[in-house]
Amino acid sequence: MDFFDRFAVPHPSFLIYGAMVSIAIAMIAVVVGITYFKKWGYLWREWLTTVDHKRIGIMYLIVALLMLFRGGVDAIMMRYQLSMPDNTFLDSQHYNEVFTTHGIVMILFMAMPFITFFFNYLIPLQIGARDVAFPRLNALSFWLFFMGAMLFNMSFVVGGSPDAGWTSYFPLAGNEFSTSVGTNYYMIAIQIAGMGTLMTGINFITTILKMRAPGMKLMKMPMFTWSAFIANVIVVFAFPVLTVLLAMGTMDRLFGTNFFTTDNGGMDMLWANLFWVWGHPEVYILILPAFGLYSEIISTFARRNLYGYKSMVASMVVISIFSFLVWAHHFFTMGQGPLTNSIFSITTMAIAVPTGVKIFNWLFTLWKGKIVFPTPMLYSILFIPLFTLGGVTGVMLAMSAADYQYHNTMFLVAHFHNVIIPGVVYAMIAGLTFYWPKMFGFMLNEKLGKWTAWLLSVGFVLAFIPMYITGLDGQARRMYTYSESTGFSALNMVSFIGAAIMAVAFALLVYNIYYSIRYASRDIGNDPWDARSLEWATHTPVPEYNFAIIPEVASTEAFWDSKKKGHELFKGKIEKIHMPNNSPIPFIMSCLFFAFGFSMVFSIWPVAIIALIGILACLTYRSFEKDHGRYISVEEIKETEAKLRGAKK
Amino acid sequence: MNELFPLKQVMGFVLSLVLTAVALLVYFTDMSLLSGMTVLLLTAFIQAGLQIVVFMHAGETNDKKSIYTNIYYGILIALVTIFGTLLVMVWDM
Amino acid sequence: MKVDNSLPLEYSTEENSLKILGFWIFLGAEIMLFATLFAAYFTLENRLGNGPSGAEIFEITPVLVETLLLLTSSFVIGLGIHAMRLGNKKAMMIFFSITLLLGAGFLGFEIYEFIHYVHVGATLQTSAFTAILLTTLGTHGLHVTFGLFWGLFILIQIKKRGLTPETANKSFIFSLYWHFLDIIWIFIFSFIYLKGMM
Repeated sequence: MDFFDRFAVPHPSFLIYGAMVSIAIAMIAVVVGITYFKKWGYLWREWLTTVDHKRIGIMYLIVALLMLFRGGVDAIMMRYQLSMPDNTFLDSQHYNEVFTTHGIVMILFMAMPFITFFFNYLIPLQIGARDVAFPRLNALSFWLFFMGAMLFNMSFVVGGSPDAGWTSYFPLAGNEFSTSVGTNYYMIAIQIAGMGTLMTGINFITTILKMRAPGMKLMKMPMFTWSAFIANVIVVFAFPVLTVLLAMGTMDRLFGTNFFTTDNGGMDMLWANLFWVWGHPEVYILILPAFGLYSEIISTFARRNLYGYKSMVASMVVISIFSFLVWAHHFFTMGQGPLTNSIFSITTMAIAVPTGVKIFNWLFTLWKGKIVFPTPMLYSILFIPLFTLGGVTGVMLAMSAADYQYHNTMFLVAHFHNVIIPGVVYAMIAGLTFYWPKMFGFMLNEKLGKWTAWLLSVGFVLAFIPMYITGLDGQARRMYTYSESTGFSALNMVSFIGAAIMAVAFALLVYNIYYSIRYASRDIGNDPWDARSLEWATHTPVPEYNFAIIPEVASTEAFWDSKKKGHELFKGKIEKIHMPNNSPIPFIMSCLFFAFGFSMVFSIWPVAIIALIGILACLTYRSFEKDHGRYISVEEIKETEAKLRGAKK
Repeated sequence: MNELFPLKQVMGFVLSLVLTAVALLVYFTDMSLLSGMTVLLLTAFIQAGLQIVVFMHAGETNDKKSIYTNIYYGILIALVTIFGTLLVMVWDM
Repeated sequence: MKVDNSLPLEYSTEENSLKILGFWIFLGAEIMLFATLFAAYFTLENRLGNGPSGAEIFEITPVLVETLLLLTSSFVIGLGIHAMRLGNKKAMMIFFSITLLLGAGFLGFEIYEFIHYVHVGATLQTSAFTAILLTTLGTHGLHVTFGLFWGLFILIQIKKRGLTPETANKSFIFSLYWHFLDIIWIFIFSFIYLKGMM
């Protein structure tokens, strides 16, 4: 049974054993449930083999919400551990595992899929297209992401969690100091998920460049689509850096190479450098679509078109280029000289300018608008001051000489949560609330939604503002405990209370979803918010083909114009529509990637080789495949349209 | 476009061979690092440009703006990554 | 499927032109992939540990042969696409076959080169320099290997299905890939080998 020893967790605890049991029970329950309700066929046909962008989007959303839960539990555990000095809830090893997992899960398996959900669901609808450019590649993107996420998530119960931080610096991440397979999971699971993301980037750039409705020139696109376009451009040029980096890290750990070792010429600091060459653009990948969502929401609920369309686009283009010019600010203290640090200081401060332009444009959009405050708008209004605070502390950190004081203290932790939570997380919740009725045919409860927004904000301020102070007082980051004499305890307790309030807010969000499923009215029509852009010109639920007739567009707010200025969107008659067929290959290939990844983590070479051959076989099959999709007949379209309450004319 | 003899391809091939031969000068003659790197940079980028424009038909369709923007952006970020990494890790470390 | 006969076959349908643009974007990503390898190479170039340097192990003759083989194969596939546009299926298939043979020749020389390096003490595990050298050359070589199989599959499809908008599109995209690999080789030739042997 030596072979099975390798799967044991090297540093178990009661919680980890409890998790093993819960996971096993949950998996059995799921399998039994699907079998009992005889849903395997349905699952295979409608979800596992789908190439529909809307379905794929919803699958991304489900994974993102589940991962939000996991990342949140990690957060509460850390805050509880630090709420009192010399606490023993998490020992140092477990604390390391928890903060590592928290970072990876929240950024790569919660935020990334959340924005990919928005890309998938919205972009074809916003540009008046029927699907993305490469539907099957899209499905492969999702399943690769899913398998990467599953591989990562099982690490803490099979073999051991990574514990070297989400940044996994060498030499800590090398074999000498990280002896469990945890860091192997890191290298390989993220690699697999990252491949999916790169494919998404290629897919959406092509979609946006080539599949816009007639009349929708680039400068007439909705702002979310612009933000998504720019974000996907960053993806295409940033993710290959990660691919190479993770491959080199894998080789160091599994094949004895010397890229990042401390002898034989290895250069451990090269890891940090290349990580952040990817890592900084990554955070702009996260924030730009959030900005896009805010643009949509703010203009909708200020009842005005977005102020400064051109400067909004220009600022995002500038941000995308600059995002590749600032990376060294993540390691000002690593030992490079003042010339380097000064250059990166300047570029970092400069990138605040286009961001500031956007904030002002949102404020000008609000000025003299007829503002209403449903939940999505409340999040947007809360975003502006909170994010701005996070942004200005970023400028503080940007001054390299001063950063020697702030680096890797809680001040830094406060800063990046201050920009990510009001920036990205609020946008995700606001966007979800905003688009929920379009996707599911009912609204989320307003009262619960507002309570969630306020609770989240109060909790956020209590949790993170104290960290600015404790950071300046000297509390370091990633430290599992502190002694009473440091004086950190009071503010850390405040942080814990804030985190607990945030947890209540998220629970309220979940309750809102349950409550609304049960009680919300289904009679809301296609356009409950009186919105402005094309995605609202569809039926609810959106039919498979999105639009029976491809719309023709004349302005940036095509739908608004059709409602208020009598512009006719859907001219011409219904013709048969060509749609792609479902395919099992993306799912099957991804399962093989999972097998490959798992066997690489544990160095089980025969299985890895067989899985690799399987993957190549799938590619070969795809090369020779002759599937050209199918047509939906005019009768079927007319029937569907009539069923969805009248064809749009 | 549909002329019978592939003149462009042949000219491109010959020019590539010439550029390769010029690049070889840095091996066969004794020049300073600076001159050598200049020669290599010039010959490499010209030959690459040749391949992209002549062989890969980059400028041929309506998508040429997107294609060229894509290439320029990629080259820019590639150079920033390479020279930035060298600055941080080697020159100013 | 709407076919636009004023355009070359490989662009002639909507889906075809989507795929070609999509592939160009993919090549943009590949530029960054190899750029990262080059960034690491230049950083680790002089970190030899106990192992040899480039100047000690590089040999001009195999490198020149590899360069000429790949460059010629890039030229020949250009002739192949030209023949395809003229509708000459037979000529196209011959040119593609020669391309793949030259590519296989390139790989053969590269494998010989790697075996040589191992013999003179430059293995993957020897030093940071050898690690990044062999990884960069190896990544390019793996791309070529993948291309050989991909090209072979396309050749089989052309033989069985003839020159259709679909097979023409696949062939054109494959040619983009092949040309791109030659471009990367130009940079490898110049900045790894020649620079190392200066």
